[in-house]
Amino acid sequence: MFRNPAGVFPLSYRQDMGLVRSRSQLVCLLLFILLLILGPWYFSPRMLAIMNTSMIMAVAVLGLQINLGYAGQVNLGQAAFMGVGAYASGVLANFSGLGFILVIPLAGLASAVFGYLFGVVAARIKGFYLALTTLAAQFVFHFVVINLPSEWAGGAKGLALAPASLFGFQFNSESSLYLLNLAVLVLMTYGGFSIVRGRHGRNLVAVRDEDTAAGIMGVDVVGTKVNAFLIGSFFAGVAGALWAYYLRYISVDQFTLFNSIWMIGMIIVGGMGSITGALIGVVVVRAIQEGITSVAPIVAEAVPSLGGELIFASYNMVLGILIAASLLIEPKGLMHRWNTIKSSYRIWPYPF
Amino acid sequence: MTLFLTLVINGALQGLLYALVAIGFSVIYRSSKVFNIAQGELVVLGGFLVWLVVTGTALPLYFALPLSLVLAVASGWLIERIFFRRLIGEQVFAMVMMSIALLIFMRGFVLVVFGAHVRSFPAIFPTKPIIVSGVLVMRPLLYGGILTVLIAFGLSYLFNRTRTGLSLTAVAENHRTAMDLGISVRRASQIAWTLGMVLATIGAVVAMNGNSINFLASGIGFIAIPVALLAGLEAITGMLLAGVLIGMAERLTAGYLDPLIGANFASVLPYLLMLLILTFRPSGFFGWKTIERI
Repeated sequence: MFRNPAGVFPLSYRQDMGLVRSRSQLVCLLLFILLLILGPWYFSPRMLAIMNTSMIMAVAVLGLQINLGYAGQVNLGQAAFMGVGAYASGVLANFSGLGFILVIPLAGLASAVFGYLFGVVAARIKGFYLALTTLAAQFVFHFVVINLPSEWAGGAKGLALAPASLFGFQFNSESSLYLLNLAVLVLMTYGGFSIVRGRHGRNLVAVRDEDTAAGIMGVDVVGTKVNAFLIGSFFAGVAGALWAYYLRYISVDQFTLFNSIWMIGMIIVGGMGSITGALIGVVVVRAIQEGITSVAPIVAEAVPSLGGELIFASYNMVLGILIAASLLIEPKGLMHRWNTIKSSYRIWPYPF
Repeated sequence: MTLFLTLVINGALQGLLYALVAIGFSVIYRSSKVFNIAQGELVVLGGFLVWLVVTGTALPLYFALPLSLVLAVASGWLIERIFFRRLIGEQVFAMVMMSIALLIFMRGFVLVVFGAHVRSFPAIFPTKPIIVSGVLVMRPLLYGGILTVLIAFGLSYLFNRTRTGLSLTAVAENHRTAMDLGISVRRASQIAWTLGMVLATIGAVVAMNGNSINFLASGIGFIAIPVALLAGLEAITGMLLAGVLIGMAERLTAGYLDPLIGANFASVLPYLLMLLILTFRPSGFFGWKTIERI
């Protein structure tokens, strides 16, 4: 149950439906965004790089959240969708000479078309059968990229890009790319909120909770499932384009099944069915990942028998334990825990 | 003609190996309603258990193999106890997510415990190929194939004809209803995971016999998924047919089409077949059709 802070009473429907409900919330939000915008001036270079990859990942995870958390369509191919976006932007930027302002949405669209194919399958198949068919996305993506003419997509060698530029300004430093990624992330987060709060979002949730019932109530079940895949893969495509402009070198090995599974892990940890939860999941999982990277050399020095390969391995173990623990202890994710805490202090001293 | 026969026979045998792994999916599904995406990782774990016992100790083979199966049973029980015991009665969704967690965890666990380097796997079956009038047949795959057929019919009998098997099937239908009927869902889940782990270990022995083992061997779990879905998850003997089909299709494409187009089309063919068939028959060839009520 969502509760307003004490003393805030909506006086109109418009206010009641608002994303930001009180002046103090608005101030906090603006301050937070300002803090993020000023990031390049106070972040260390390593922190800046971590933030960049996290923000790109966050865009893809937002899409997956809509697809998986809101519409309940398990998708094990989000990394492949992201890869399609990355390759589409690479090919477009190299051959059409369009600016990144156009390339990023076009890459999103290209990925959405790829996602649409799997959405059509989702109309017939449900549950884990569907999850497994989206696995096919991963293998098809790998096959297609490797076998495209190598002057287009670079085949197994990968594809290099020129830096994104706008009116002669080149986005080629960590800090300028940080601002670009942040701008896109804020835009996509806003978009995500708008989608799930509107009519389409309600349809998605209805289909997730019980699709037969939703169909009887007049929701277009097939269309909603297809939409979920379209939206989810559009986000992934945008993330892929950002990734391409960030690294300026893409190859198939950057978009593996394990990346998709990591994204699902982020959603489970953060909380399913919550846009903020997706962002929190990315931050928490990335923080743990970087924490391990920082600690690993110290451990490797103290216990020399453990090699450097252990780092990647222990990421996986820790994330596996994390997902299992959140499924057993807090299946609704950290976001749900936060909401419970929030509503309990707002109505304190009453118990509920 | 010799090439064609070689491709068909070895494709069918390879397919039976896929079917063996796919039966692992089916067994776990038919007794606990969990689709175990991590089956490939279980194969790797089983393989490493055999490797550990056979090469690590000086025990004779007829003693070492049963010992590694006992270890497999123990680890299957442990996986069920840690990951799945508390999910009994939960939604299918939570179980899919948990098997994803298991997949990531096992990948990390195998890497941490056994490392990433390639180990040579002991030859349990003789490796010398059989050559009949120019057609080369892989001996371990042949023995493995015979074993797979026996296992499939044995398990099919267990699940369809015996009292225990039918109660397991009831659990796959619905946890709550099974509990109401007095069936121990907990015991069913334990049986599921120990059986699944034993099958994974046998699969590992057949797949890696005399070759090598490292963590990447888990890929076989992903090739077995199209087989399992093609047959329908509930059909144990159906896996044999689906496996043979996929195995032959894969080998024939690799033999005839791939050299022509110069691409590894055989690697995506099983998944494309799966997509195609599931679009027309969502529950596979022999899977149960479910009627949905609200």
